[in-house]
Amino acid sequence: MKEYNIEVLKDAAKRLLFDMSESEYETLLKEFDIVTKQMDIIGSDKSIDEYEPMSFPFECTTSYLREDIPEEPLSREDALRNSKRKIGGQIKLPKVVQ
Amino acid sequence: MEFEPVIGLEIHVELKTKSKMFSSAPVAYGKEPNTLCAPLDMAFPGTLPTVNKEGVIYAIRVCNALHMSIDNVLHFDRKNYFYSDLPKGFQITQDRRPIGSEGYLEIEIDGQTKRIGIERLHIEEDTCKQLHFPAFTLLNYNRAGTPLIEIVSKPEMRSGEEAMKYVEKIRSIVVFSGVSDGKMEEGSLRVDTNVSIRPKGSKEFGTKVEVKNINSINYVQKAIDFEVARQAKLIEEGKPVLQETRRYDDKKNETVAMRLKTDSVDYKYYPETNITPIKLSDEFIQNAIDSCPELAESKKNRYIKEHGLNNYDASLLVSEKAVSDYYDEATKYSKAYKLLANWINVDVASYLNKNVISINDFPLSPEQLAGLVKMVEASEVNSNQAREIFAKMLEEKVDASKAKEMLGITSQISDTSFIKDAVNAVLEENPQAIIDYKEGKARALGFLVGQIMKKTQGKINPKLTSDMLLEELKKR
Amino acid sequence: MYEGKSILELHELLVSKKVTPLELAKDAIELAKKDTNNAFEYIMESEAIEIASKLTEPEANNLLWGIPFVIKDNMSTKDVPTTASSNILNGYVPVYDAAVVEKLKNAKAVPIGKTTLDELAMGGTGTSGHLGMTYNPYDESKTRLVGGSSCGSAAVTAAGIVPFALGSDTGDSTRKPASFAGLVGFKPTWSRISRYGLFPFAPSLDTIGIFSRNVTDAAIVTEVLAGRDDRDSTSSTEPVGKYFEEITKPCNKKNIAIVKEIRDAVKDKEVLDAFNKTVEELKKHGYKINEVSMPNDVLASLFPTYFVLSCAEATSNNANMDGIKFGPLSNGSTFEEVMSEARTKGFGELIKRRFVIGSFALMKENKHDLFIRAQKNRRRIVDCVNAILKDNDFIYLPAAPSIAPKATDSSDRLSDEYLIADNHLVLGNFAGLPSITLPIGFKERMPFGANLMARAFEETSLFQVSYELEQITGLANIYAKGGRK
Repeated sequence: MKEYNIEVLKDAAKRLLFDMSESEYETLLKEFDIVTKQMDIIGSDKSIDEYEPMSFPFECTTSYLREDIPEEPLSREDALRNSKRKIGGQIKLPKVVQ
Repeated sequence: MEFEPVIGLEIHVELKTKSKMFSSAPVAYGKEPNTLCAPLDMAFPGTLPTVNKEGVIYAIRVCNALHMSIDNVLHFDRKNYFYSDLPKGFQITQDRRPIGSEGYLEIEIDGQTKRIGIERLHIEEDTCKQLHFPAFTLLNYNRAGTPLIEIVSKPEMRSGEEAMKYVEKIRSIVVFSGVSDGKMEEGSLRVDTNVSIRPKGSKEFGTKVEVKNINSINYVQKAIDFEVARQAKLIEEGKPVLQETRRYDDKKNETVAMRLKTDSVDYKYYPETNITPIKLSDEFIQNAIDSCPELAESKKNRYIKEHGLNNYDASLLVSEKAVSDYYDEATKYSKAYKLLANWINVDVASYLNKNVISINDFPLSPEQLAGLVKMVEASEVNSNQAREIFAKMLEEKVDASKAKEMLGITSQISDTSFIKDAVNAVLEENPQAIIDYKEGKARALGFLVGQIMKKTQGKINPKLTSDMLLEELKKR
Repeated sequence: MYEGKSILELHELLVSKKVTPLELAKDAIELAKKDTNNAFEYIMESEAIEIASKLTEPEANNLLWGIPFVIKDNMSTKDVPTTASSNILNGYVPVYDAAVVEKLKNAKAVPIGKTTLDELAMGGTGTSGHLGMTYNPYDESKTRLVGGSSCGSAAVTAAGIVPFALGSDTGDSTRKPASFAGLVGFKPTWSRISRYGLFPFAPSLDTIGIFSRNVTDAAIVTEVLAGRDDRDSTSSTEPVGKYFEEITKPCNKKNIAIVKEIRDAVKDKEVLDAFNKTVEELKKHGYKINEVSMPNDVLASLFPTYFVLSCAEATSNNANMDGIKFGPLSNGSTFEEVMSEARTKGFGELIKRRFVIGSFALMKENKHDLFIRAQKNRRRIVDCVNAILKDNDFIYLPAAPSIAPKATDSSDRLSDEYLIADNHLVLGNFAGLPSITLPIGFKERMPFGANLMARAFEETSLFQVSYELEQITGLANIYAKGGRK
């Protein structure tokens, strides 16, 4: 597991595209300690690795696949209704440099 | 020091399903921006993905064409990252269990068949379209969610040419299997390549450089050849090859640095919890495979073995799916395979080129063309007449028989007694020619045939005429 | 006037034309406007009146005809503002209805408002929403929590304003506030009710939840909401039982397990006494009570496992909140800046911390020790629960260690002090099992409840045994104003 400190947490927040106050990072650091400690305890029992990771609450394989029949899409008005950045039927962003 | 290029290709293919991969919004091109969006494509909170059956069927067709193992359970994962063209902040893809794995395709190189291994094929979805202006970028969500398959080769290609042939083969497969338009210029087939070089014979890999923005089949070879040379030069000069992403500039025919790949991006993959695993029955998979239209390779072999076409003609016919489809349709009406192939590969092709249209817009139906070919086969008209009729058919948009009528062409005469009379009449009128012929003057025969044609206004069957002429000359 | 009435009571009044849906809606809206518990994000006055005015011919066979209800604000409601109690969604007006909203509208029920929640459903105190704390109607001093994350729906139902409310449950977000507010709080089997339109927190744990003041009402609503929805690929095709019709029939499943470590972790004497009394009564009703054990290390691992899994999923599920397609306008000279400003200003601090932890858990270097380990441990936990439910039909436990805590005694910050009594309801989310909380007693004039959990898709028997328990406690139809026992 990666070593962490306030700088690492700040970097992680930055990658999630937000920032927090300094005191919140302090709180977060303490929470990290608690979580990682508790997860370490779980990991200390090596038998944990005998379990298959679980992504769903129970076995739920289905066979349903949607028929390829197009449905009425949203009107442009509805699609863009909630955007404060719409212009001429599209959404405007600062120039994206590749 | 001799170097060996190590080339891998990642190809994204847009599938031409009617609806998107995870939403029911229509897939279409050239529509007004933001008019083909379902709430999921706009990533509105609370929306959920549903898997498009046809997209899965198409993926299976390609997996099968590439001799891949097909996973009978569909698992999806999330690839998490932020970008302007990614509405949900993640892409639904297949990380752990791609639908296809461990396949190959074969290319012809230097007269040999070479097998290129294919690592995986997986299903994912396309992003928004961005329109860049100097000061801003516009987002159009129409394309978001369009089905894609990603085909990842093993790094087994050793030259730009091999890579180009690989791409051609993939394109042929996705087009002939009916799953995609496969047009690089339109973005329905996108090629990214990883290029590195190493000393020949070495098993270690050199620094990998990613090259993007390759917009046509020809540029595949050019871009890679340039990149290989660039890397070789760096190494010879003792300079390092940087691990980076470069884009191909087709105007300058060079690769240009885009961004440094410092640490590879961590996409934090984890299972897509809004799609439970989907079991594909053996029957479903087999039906998907069986539903695949005939691929180019198979058509070509069939044309050669069953229709007696030569490799060249057969290859020409399968170079474009629409052309081979046209040919296949025409063979329903006429079994004169070689003639049909010829007419399509030469006369039709010439017309298409001149008018800059595709065979889909060719005014004559396969049945109509077959009608003309049948006339030629039955010797009802000679080749000149046939060409006239062809032109007339195109001009007036009519059937061969109608065009023939309009041109006043009467059926070529094949009545042997009539021909014999005509031949003998001309021989009577041209005794000098007979003497010339007997003396071995080459032109004499042609002269005599010409005279017979003139006398009969060209309506006489040329082959029968020359046979008859030779026969009569023997007697004199 | 119609405060505190049950669905069946209201149905009777409507069918006999003693009241109209419009009168009921107006009545509920008046009460909503007078609500002092900070439970509403938005009162759907004009929308409700429009819907209710159209309901003129009562449908005798449709128990939900004309019945007013409220919706937790993390469910999409067409043309009605939906914020999930987060500033990042201020001004967001959805263009579609969630499946559950659609079903209730089709059943001619009348939605009268959107209720507060912990921001984006990520909390358990009912204090982290952007409108501040939601109060517990039972506590006039307004110092006690009603719990979360479905705080508003719990408060509105406990105040008697409507007979039922929609909530959601990811770790206990319907069943815990139900305990603090003297309500029935029902969580169905995972995949039983379509999640289409429910803003996702952690889809592998999320369900819709239902608040009501008696078990029968919960069964009525569940029956209308349950069933396959092709728009939610995870929704189950299992046939829906006749929960309402069967509820008064005696339950033929008689084995109830009590996990003794969890029960013994409850230190509040009144709660324990009340619980044990119900246990004795259940025995008299022919139930066999079995004390079972769960290993302490498994119990101690419940919370961190839930925390890692839910935070990781939440991080991904909220990556669409970027101020571009929806949300308040943000500025920047690059798209990253635009998104960052939206997210920095729009998200509260609590959920930002959760996102960082969640994202950390999914990073390549940490995935094995955090996310994947949590997924493995989930299986270990679920195996334990399923083993208990092999020989037992239900698990029965106090829903919470005590009555609703005071706001000052509670925090959303992680602490080392780990209370299994506070965190066991998540067993129902890990294993996707149907689970119901109902009130069993009072202490200091504050209610507290107990929780029953059954095997997957066994809603019918779960409702039956809870109905019986409700008969035992006599605590059906209690509410905070005037109707309190």
